Amino acid sequence: MTPIGLTVRAGLSLNARLLIAASVVLTAFLGLTGLTLDRAFRDSALAQVRAALQVHVYALLGAADLDRAERLVFPKRLPEARFGIPGSGLYAQVNAASGALVWRSPSMLGFVDLPFDPVYRTGVAAFQDLTDADGARYFALGLAVVWEAKKSYGYTFYVAEQSDAFDALVRGFRQALWGWLVGAAVVLLAVQGLIWRWGLAPLRRVALEVAEIEAGRQSELHSSYPSELRLLTERLNALLRNRGAHLERYRHALADLAHSFKTPLAVIRSAIDDKDTPAPLQALMREQVEGLNRTVEYQLQRAAASGRTVLARPIEVEPAVRKLERTLAKVHADKGVQFDLQVAPGLRFHGDDGDLVEILGNVLDNACKWARREVVLRARPEGAGTGLVIEVEDDGPGVPEDVKPAIGRRGVRADPKIGGHGIGLAVVREIVEGVYGGRLELGRGALGGALVRVWL
Amino acid sequence: MRALVVEDEAPLREQLAERLRVEGYVVDLAADGEEGAFIGRDYPVDLAIVDLGLPKLPGIEVIRRWREAGLCFPVLILTARGRWQDKVEGLGVGADDYLVKPFEMEELLARLRALVRRAAGFANPVLTFGSLALDTRAECVRVEGAAVELTAFEYRILEYLMLHAGEVISKTELAEHLYHEDQDHDSNVLEVMLARLRRKLDPERLLNPIETLRGRGYRFRLLKSSGPSV
Repeated sequence: MTPIGLTVRAGLSLNARLLIAASVVLTAFLGLTGLTLDRAFRDSALAQVRAALQVHVYALLGAADLDRAERLVFPKRLPEARFGIPGSGLYAQVNAASGALVWRSPSMLGFVDLPFDPVYRTGVAAFQDLTDADGARYFALGLAVVWEAKKSYGYTFYVAEQSDAFDALVRGFRQALWGWLVGAAVVLLAVQGLIWRWGLAPLRRVALEVAEIEAGRQSELHSSYPSELRLLTERLNALLRNRGAHLERYRHALADLAHSFKTPLAVIRSAIDDKDTPAPLQALMREQVEGLNRTVEYQLQRAAASGRTVLARPIEVEPAVRKLERTLAKVHADKGVQFDLQVAPGLRFHGDDGDLVEILGNVLDNACKWARREVVLRARPEGAGTGLVIEVEDDGPGVPEDVKPAIGRRGVRADPKIGGHGIGLAVVREIVEGVYGGRLELGRGALGGALVRVWL
Repeated sequence: MRALVVEDEAPLREQLAERLRVEGYVVDLAADGEEGAFIGRDYPVDLAIVDLGLPKLPGIEVIRRWREAGLCFPVLILTARGRWQDKVEGLGVGADDYLVKPFEMEELLARLRALVRRAAGFANPVLTFGSLALDTRAECVRVEGAAVELTAFEYRILEYLMLHAGEVISKTELAEHLYHEDQDHDSNVLEVMLARLRRKLDPERLLNPIETLRGRGYRFRLLKSSGPSV
């Protein structure tokens, strides 16, 4: 199978498949039906023609007689008036056994000369299908008889009728037959179409509901579905419910891990500051604890990022930003940072709520640490799809050019005196670039301070 | 200052208690959420340090219960959870600050001082009343720009009175915030301390920053100055 053949096959909708299959079957069935009916009708009409011809032949036989000279004669009034009307379409001829013409009906005179086939067996009517010199078609019946008088005379009686009436009859039947068959096919296909529409409606509904879920307008499939689909839709719902619970459990496990690891670290760190600990040891231990903590923190944060999941409800950006504003206003209360938050109305993030809060929280917190008074956030859609770009800048001193490439790499920070574990931007970069396939860029903003731009 | 520490890890709890006591705080300890919620509700706590992952009742719930009961002492969350969603949730239910473990003890102390000061309505870390200035960051007191040597206990008395400037503070209230119930204390000791504090601050008896209202208590009577000064 060629790849092209495959794609065409896969691209056909269920409706198209059913329509094509039904059309082929219906055409074959109705075609054969039509042919059979057509042939049956023709045969029966032909049998009628033959019977009529036979009646005429016998009538002529009855009317004919031998005169005293033992010549075959016919009365003035022939049994069928049409034999007497020239060109009437009904003709009779009698040949002698030798083939010589004995008699012709007046209807034939001067009009036609029919190429009758000789009939050899006596008493058996032979049906003939003739065409004259002008191409007109005739059905004929020949009957060979032997006339017993003083001598015996052999004659062949022929009666021929032009096929016009028969042809017209068959044509009329055919037209009616095929007309009805085509009409029936159209009606049947239309009815089939409606049945499929009705039958496939649940599938269309599933597709619509899935789209609704992706758009965030509903959380699971609501409609009741026929039994064939129910297993699928119920499992899908279970999957949707389960996924949230699973992520929650996973994050709880990570939180427990963080707790069981970092609380002892906190104890050690406090113990280092104890006056009894020798000074050289203090520096060494502090450094080691710091390094250990940074690694754990970074790995935990990275592990907690979930990334985009299919069928996930998109997250509104504005509420997340507002929540963080309230949080950061408390954390940096002494600084009295002024936030200017410009989020495009209705902007949505296609990903995990926790990841968005983590990205925005770290970037905004960083800006608050460096800002003198003002932090500006701008978030807007980017490109045609679901992408968005978030810019955060502050009016602080900005990022020196020489450390810029290193910032956001694991554990690097511009000023170790300013709080935090130095993993904030590293985590953001990891989530943005590693998990979401986006981009993070550092620059200088219009306020003169650092500008962090994130594409998601 | 009376500090409540709600932390289930015994070694860390003890370390915190020890250090806070050295700094002159009266320390209450709780090893689980329910006990913490109870102490915070029934004792005159000035600030609380709360872990999030607590047995019996989660830290978030403890804070929520306090806030629902109308208690508004400052709360600092001290937790291993470093995710911003946890921070947003914690500060959302009414905590005032958030510190991730492991932490620098000095940073914790600095944040506690800032929380107490802000809770009393002072935006500036230096509380200035006329010529008297109390620097909450350095924990030092200056009169007319000259440093005054105070013991940790004397500093706590002055800090408490200044943070509640203009209010009448009964001797019982002062004792509650400066002594633990278990501690044996004599109200005479408090009077002696106050007399010594007055002497140190105001040797000439010109300022009289702390007045005694007989039978009712004490009041810091200087007026708050606006603008920073050291």
